[in-house]
Amino acid sequence: MRARRRTVFLVALSIVLGLSLAPFAPAVTAQTVDEIIKRGKVIVGVNTTTPIFGLVGSDGQPEGYDPDVARLVGKYLGVQVEFVSVTGANRLPFLLTNRVDMVIALFGITPERAQQIWFSMPYATEAATLVAPASRAVKSVDDLAGLRVGVPRGAMQDLILTPQAAAKKINLMRFDDEATALQAMVSGQIDVVGTGLLVYRTLNRNDPGKNYEVKIVLRPLHFGIGIRRGQIDLLQWLNTFIYTIKNNGELDAISRKWRQLPLEPLPVF
Amino acid sequence: MDYVFQFGVVWREIDALLLGAWLTLRLSALAMVFGLIVGIAGALAKASRYRTLRLIAHTYVEAIRNTPFLVQVLFVYLGLPSVGMRLTPDQAALLAMVINLGAYTTEIVRAGIKAVPAGQIQAGTALGLSRWQIFRFVVCLPALRAVFPALGSQFILVMLASSVVSVISAEELTAVADTIVARNFRSFEVYLIVTGLYLAMCLAFQGAFAVIHRALFARWRA
Amino acid sequence: MVREFTLHELWFLVLAVRWTIALSAIAFVAGGAGGIAVALSRVSRSVLLAGAATAYIKIVQGTPLLMQLYLVYFGASLLRVTSDAWTAAALGLALYSSAFLGEIWRGCIQAVPHTQWEAARALGLGYPAQLRFIILPQASRIALPPTVGFLVQLVKGTSLASIIGFTELTRAAAVVNNATFRPLMVYTAVAGLYFVLCWPLSVLSDRLERRLDRAGSAAASVQM
Repeated sequence: MRARRRTVFLVALSIVLGLSLAPFAPAVTAQTVDEIIKRGKVIVGVNTTTPIFGLVGSDGQPEGYDPDVARLVGKYLGVQVEFVSVTGANRLPFLLTNRVDMVIALFGITPERAQQIWFSMPYATEAATLVAPASRAVKSVDDLAGLRVGVPRGAMQDLILTPQAAAKKINLMRFDDEATALQAMVSGQIDVVGTGLLVYRTLNRNDPGKNYEVKIVLRPLHFGIGIRRGQIDLLQWLNTFIYTIKNNGELDAISRKWRQLPLEPLPVF
Repeated sequence: MDYVFQFGVVWREIDALLLGAWLTLRLSALAMVFGLIVGIAGALAKASRYRTLRLIAHTYVEAIRNTPFLVQVLFVYLGLPSVGMRLTPDQAALLAMVINLGAYTTEIVRAGIKAVPAGQIQAGTALGLSRWQIFRFVVCLPALRAVFPALGSQFILVMLASSVVSVISAEELTAVADTIVARNFRSFEVYLIVTGLYLAMCLAFQGAFAVIHRALFARWRA
Repeated sequence: MVREFTLHELWFLVLAVRWTIALSAIAFVAGGAGGIAVALSRVSRSVLLAGAATAYIKIVQGTPLLMQLYLVYFGASLLRVTSDAWTAAALGLALYSSAFLGEIWRGCIQAVPHTQWEAARALGLGYPAQLRFIILPQASRIALPPTVGFLVQLVKGTSLASIIGFTELTRAAAVVNNATFRPLMVYTAVAGLYFVLCWPLSVLSDRLERRLDRAGSAAASVQM
């Protein structure tokens, strides 16, 4: 049976060859501040397709409110910042499976999410809103009947509207991210889009003449930095960090730069 | 591995998943029918006497076969409105699938037509049949029979490709899966079940094709 | 920060092509190695090996590539073999390639006329030697056109890696689209870039196939 053994050997060799070409790096999961400092870099998940809070600049690097906060994290820890692109859908799995140390990506603080991760205290004010052109008469959720409402999958607007969609006859359309939903809005594919407080400005710049405005504020939101549960050391550091940049003007500068608004008072917990 | 698998969470959402699978089946079936029609038209265009027709068909086939389906879908849904053509996600998905399948089917049907022995066509001409009659009575069915397996494979491929239309919010199986994952974060469990559902649909279509083959070609010999 | 779609944005897209090419190349090489294993397993006399290979091929060919990428991506981290989108995409596409290439190459091995196997055996060669000196060289010639054809599928398949967050050409398109809000121009440009990558390969595959047809019919007439 030399022939069969040879076949098996060839097969095994090929498999080994194939696997060896896909390098696996074992996870370096930093749990504490010391480990991050020792590693020399902090891995931060940021959104790169959302106006104001996370886009890609003309130099190919993430830019926006969240990336700037991440860069301050790196500055105060004394480490490099490595950015990882995340979406609304995968930011939580990324965090839970150790792909990133923390998530600074429009992460709205809710008790449901807090069952899976920990939030730092708020570093930004926002809201889950519904935006549409001025010509569209929408004042409450009931006015959405029969309209095409585009929301990012799993986002606050999705969670709030889905339970009511069937009863109120809302044509709820879920996109992979806010960016695609905004594209659909500009293309005229949807009537109302779920987004934040200030994105209407971006829409008005790109699609002038329609006078986009916030129609409904579904729920005020604050964003927190998301980290894995149990990392008390990192949580304490992040809260200290946020307290610092709130009071020394750096967070206010970021807010003025990206939102063209001064920093509003942020609640603490 | 300190991860606790929780498949129970997935079973609770099985209704939504099956609804998504139903849309996948409907989109795929419609795409197969229209895609085949487009493919036959394309194959005829490529065999036509008119050079312009041949050129259009050739450009169409090469453009579709050398660009990714995802890009075609995004183009149809987000790009076409700029020239006034606005489609719902389901319509855009179907159109993209038909255009995509049509290109591949054109080539497959063309190969099938070439496989019909020249003697048959000559016999048809000798009997005084017109070009169209020759196609309808002599060429069409034998060509389809010759390439039936290839057509079946391509149809399955387009059904599998439909998983991509989730990005334009068409609520087919993958989109429903993504929404469930966005709520309960049980990504691995959900996608494993969904992969099983796709496999089941694939086997179902293959079974359907076998039945169609028997129904159409049972009387054939050789 | 809204930008116009200028040559600068176009250049950003062109640069992203690097990642598409890199991902395709790695998946092709790794998938090729796996494909050899799969093809040999399917033609082997061991029922277990042939059965396992057949099951593997049927599963990969019967499920969407997107699902396969998702499973590899989330499964890899569950098993603590934590890797980034790059590795997950490469591994997922490599597994996808190995199944398809294995099936293609198995077909090519079986397309080598039976008489060749018999002649090799008559010459006193063992199974591995039969493969190495007589069968595989002929099978490789037959395999070249469909393999190049599959490479086109693979390059297009990398566009799905954008959905799991890997920054290749399709993701770059989304990024530029969100900075410029000009979907028609962006997606036309991206389609054009993919076309430039894939079309030469398609043409090559067609040309090889025609050359093979002519050579094959010549060889066949000799064999008769």
